Amino acid sequence: MTTSSEQTAKPKSMLARAWDSDVGYSFRHSPVAIISSTVALLLILAAVFAPLLAVMNPFDPASLNLLNGFTPPLSQAEFSPDWFLLGTDDQGRDVYSTILYGMRISLFVGFAAVALGMVIGITLGLISGYFGGWADAIIMRIADVQLTFPSILVAMLIFGVAKGVTPVEYRDQLAIWVLILAIGLSDWVQFARVVRGATLVEKNKEYVQAARLMGRGALPILFRHILPNVMSPVLVIATISLALAIIAEATLSFLGVGAPATQPSLGTLIRIGQGFLFSGEWWILVFPAVTLLALALSVNLLGDWLRDALNPKLR
Amino acid sequence: MFKLFASTALTLCLAGAASAETFKWAGTTDPQTMDPHAVNSAPVLGFLNNVYEGLVRRGKDMAVEPALATSWEPIGVGEGWRFNLRKGVKFHDGADFTAEDVLFSYQRASSEASDTRSWFAPVADVKVVDDYTVDILTSAPNPIFPDSIANWMMMDKGWAEANSTALPDKENGNYATLNANGTGAFMLKDRQPGLTTTLAPFDGWWDEAEHNITEAVFTPIDNPATAVAALLSGDVDMINPVPIQDAARVDERDGTKVIRGIEARVIMLGFGQDRDELKYTAMAGQPNPFKDARVREAVAKAINVDAILKTIMRGSAEPASQLVSPAMRGFSDALAARPAYDVAGAKALLAEAGYGDGFSFGLKCPNNRYLNDEAVCQAVTGMLAQVGIKAELDAMPVQNYWPELRADNFDMYLLGWSPGTFDHEHPVRFLVTTPNPEKKLGSWNFGGFSNARVDELLPMVQSEIDDGKRQAMMDEITSIYQSEHAYVPMYVQPLVWGAQDNIELTQRPDNFFILRWVTVN
Repeated sequence: MTTSSEQTAKPKSMLARAWDSDVGYSFRHSPVAIISSTVALLLILAAVFAPLLAVMNPFDPASLNLLNGFTPPLSQAEFSPDWFLLGTDDQGRDVYSTILYGMRISLFVGFAAVALGMVIGITLGLISGYFGGWADAIIMRIADVQLTFPSILVAMLIFGVAKGVTPVEYRDQLAIWVLILAIGLSDWVQFARVVRGATLVEKNKEYVQAARLMGRGALPILFRHILPNVMSPVLVIATISLALAIIAEATLSFLGVGAPATQPSLGTLIRIGQGFLFSGEWWILVFPAVTLLALALSVNLLGDWLRDALNPKLR
Repeated sequence: MFKLFASTALTLCLAGAASAETFKWAGTTDPQTMDPHAVNSAPVLGFLNNVYEGLVRRGKDMAVEPALATSWEPIGVGEGWRFNLRKGVKFHDGADFTAEDVLFSYQRASSEASDTRSWFAPVADVKVVDDYTVDILTSAPNPIFPDSIANWMMMDKGWAEANSTALPDKENGNYATLNANGTGAFMLKDRQPGLTTTLAPFDGWWDEAEHNITEAVFTPIDNPATAVAALLSGDVDMINPVPIQDAARVDERDGTKVIRGIEARVIMLGFGQDRDELKYTAMAGQPNPFKDARVREAVAKAINVDAILKTIMRGSAEPASQLVSPAMRGFSDALAARPAYDVAGAKALLAEAGYGDGFSFGLKCPNNRYLNDEAVCQAVTGMLAQVGIKAELDAMPVQNYWPELRADNFDMYLLGWSPGTFDHEHPVRFLVTTPNPEKKLGSWNFGGFSNARVDELLPMVQSEIDDGKRQAMMDEITSIYQSEHAYVPMYVQPLVWGAQDNIELTQRPDNFFILRWVTVN
């Protein structure tokens, strides 16, 4: 009896605790945080529920009608009775539906790439900070070298190599995964450096020394004791990295090396739309660009706020 | 007095310098090579027509006129042709042009290493009679031979041998890939592949110069929208092509104009039909459906050419039923109808062929070679999906595209063909006859279509002098490749060039941009 009542009370108290915490307080009193998180949440939900919200599946070539091509926003196609909210592109794809589906790719690539970069970066950062010595030297020199290249260049390099080694038959199916790999591998450095710095501070604290005296191994100490205490800066970087990863994906796709044209992400849409800017078909470019802007900006602002909220010195 | 004279001379000089014109133009495709015998593709041949010359050349109306040969006459009854060469012609390096150079250029351009060797399929032998007379002997009577060699360009024997480039090398390149030494109106001054290519007028040219250019700079601009921006901002004087969607804007604007025409180029789909298995997608290794003519016909019926022309081509292209446009010699008027757009019919044909449940395959496509090529391929992908066959589109730049096609890396592909001779016989020789490297036939028949009757008819067409009989044979060939659906011709590509208003130029239907007809006002 008592255990079950405790269990039902627990989730509620956690939410309430978060709401009442310093971070929650800061959130309630920051209009920027409220607005940006609302926008980000709406966009993410729109992407998740794209199949319900979209009027067509733009990734299915069979659903396209070429005769709907170049229909302006809020108007009827010239050669068919169909209506389009945000117009259509050159292939007769509904821009509104394509944005929803394209955002799924952008967000999926963004989240997955950040997760990959985070896992690699945290692991290497912990090892580097905790063990020091030659492991630290090697990892940090690799990081330094990688930092001297713009990350988009690194991503393009990785993308090029990965595309070269994947079998031709599977190139299109693998394009998204290659993209994730390329972006993830290009931004692990920031995580590694921050985690290393925090680990250097944490490893000399009493609780770590106590754990060590009790005879715990290095791995449990790293992941059970140090990791939770270095997570708050990691969260901040992860949020900002997400915005950067979404933009990196858009850049790669814009350059034509990312998502294939038959499965356009936001960047691919902008690349397609850019070709029609001069001829007056602005909607093919503008709507995906505004969506990308809203998505990246809201996530970025959220990251900024989180950084301030988690930094006790700024309070 | 002297002072006055000197200052007048100086002013004249300055005026001369001011009217000296650097002409800048841009195109989507950089010519892959400066070697006129290495690659048989329009961007290369069109560009090099300004630097090299053939025995004959084409005028503004495409008619063949004397160039390095002043006259030619048949030898005996269809044994070949005698060419009388022009005297006093110099190469850009100062060497004399003689019959030895013609023989050398024949050997070079018809060698195993050359992409242009199929032009010489009818040639049995080339004989030097004297320094300025050459006999070209044909294995059968060939009434259109002089018409077919306008792009066969003359290279200096001494220069080529001194620079060890006696044979072209299209894969690795050699001296002639980056350097040129022709007899043409322009000399190659500077060549930076992919960046800029600079030409300067050749003072020793044998013909009267019509242009007033002092320097011409070509820049490849991959992205058509960027090229339009460069034209509008005045960075370049001419671009080819103007994206169809931007043509109206370029034309309406003060200071720039659009020059339109119908190109001789037919855009078509080809199939890998000589192999047993599909090469791409999850179905790689399974039996190849395109071996079945019914499947190819289904593809022809599934493609809504009108929709492509209305939207992607914005009404400025013509549907095509054959491998050449109606303006070409040998077009079959009786067979001018295209298979109608018929989704139900296409599905029925697929079901009949045993592919009622559809299949998937790889479609290869260039993305910077033809007007809106990638968009057309995407549209084709959509239309094929509607009849239940799933194309996986792989679009790539043209410099990667030809090697992929040559390596047979496709299940279906997009190809544009412009007959260099303006004759239906040309695409039949290159695209329809069974590939036969020894006889120099079918060299661009990547899919390996093969029909014994076509192979039998082609030599007869080539040697037939009577127009009526020739057309009857041409009609038979056309009906064979149409009923077999060897290719799916879709449309004749429009020519859309853009230029500044002060530029006068001539647009030839083969999309060759000839600098010696350019005047900067």
